[in-house]
Amino acid sequence: MLRLARRERVELPVPQQDQTEERLRPLMIRSLEGDPGAHRQLLAVLGRYLRGYFARRIGSTTGEVEDLVQETLLAVHLKRESYDRSLPFTPWAYALARYKLIDHLRRRNRSYQVPLEDAGALFAAEDTEEGALRTDLDRLLQRLPDRQRSLIEDVKLKGLSVEEAAQKRGVTAVSARVMLHRSLKWLNQALRNEND
Amino acid sequence: MRTTDLIELLAHDVRATPPGIVNRRLLAALVAGGLVTLAIVALGLRCQPLLAAAHQPWFWMKATYTGLLALTGAVIVRRLSIPGTGVGAAPLATGVVILAMLAIGTGQILSAAPAGRLPLWLGHTWKVCSPLILLLAIPIYACLVAAIRGLAPTRPVLTGAAAGLAAGALAATLYGLHCPEQAAAFVATWYTLGIAAATALGAMTGGRLLRW
Repeated sequence: MLRLARRERVELPVPQQDQTEERLRPLMIRSLEGDPGAHRQLLAVLGRYLRGYFARRIGSTTGEVEDLVQETLLAVHLKRESYDRSLPFTPWAYALARYKLIDHLRRRNRSYQVPLEDAGALFAAEDTEEGALRTDLDRLLQRLPDRQRSLIEDVKLKGLSVEEAAQKRGVTAVSARVMLHRSLKWLNQALRNEND
Repeated sequence: MRTTDLIELLAHDVRATPPGIVNRRLLAALVAGGLVTLAIVALGLRCQPLLAAAHQPWFWMKATYTGLLALTGAVIVRRLSIPGTGVGAAPLATGVVILAMLAIGTGQILSAAPAGRLPLWLGHTWKVCSPLILLLAIPIYACLVAAIRGLAPTRPVLTGAAAGLAAGALAATLYGLHCPEQAAAFVATWYTLGIAAATALGAMTGGRLLRW
């Protein structure tokens, strides 16, 4: 925290940043308590900020931004247990975004000087316009085993709940949940390998 | 898949997460790995007569030194596994503990008669001490790595080193149940070297094992 505070490159007036914190932290806490609506809302807001942040750092014309947004949202989702509820949320989210950006640039073999800034660097501006994708997750999903893929399709395309999808496929809700979680982890890995 | 679709999909994978899960995961890893190492010490190496040893100050001197390092190592691992927090004062505390032990060991050597200095420093087991601590650290390190992989270390090499430090220091603490060496100079040198080797192992493997 001290290190972050010492940098003077704050892109936002502090009150506005506090507002972001006050808006997002309760969402994150409710998401950790198992509220899907809060989780959805949090990821949607984060996605808009991430899009703006990555576009400012790597240029929005390259078609890599949206890939990176999706990869980071997956990471936020899969790594959310690493958030400590007693700490502010925005530095946590910024650290994840910055890590993903550095990782992305390194894998692209570019020089990866990413300044360590205040979390305000991420939460400077929202961008709602989804950009073009290089890697289509649907294509990656085709490589999943049939059972896992059909579960995801039921949930994503047909809008079924995990319980409904499980019932339809004749598996228990618990194993369907495990299957979905494993598929998302696998997707995260596949997306990283794809962008290597 | 559009990003909004992905978010919709992720919202179906929400489960309640109890607070304090980071601490619990890391603690569970230390306990699990520690039990494996303890079994190797107790069954493979054999403990020294513990009742007699527990009355000796040198026994507690060793346990305090390595126990403190295990604690600071674990604190560093915890902080590095949570994105957005600095490492805090634990690395400084680690340095202070090691320097204090080196000072005590040096003082012991200097105050000994010249002819007694080398036996004091090398003891009977100096050749095996550091390598054994490194080997005993491996089960603990493996468990820690497995736990950290579920978290989000944004500095994998440093996190690996901290995990190696915690694993090496805990292994050294358990090794103290076996090792009958009594000299502070011995501990300051060979225990520290073993822990340093485990730290180096962590730094070398962390970059690959802890990336996400």
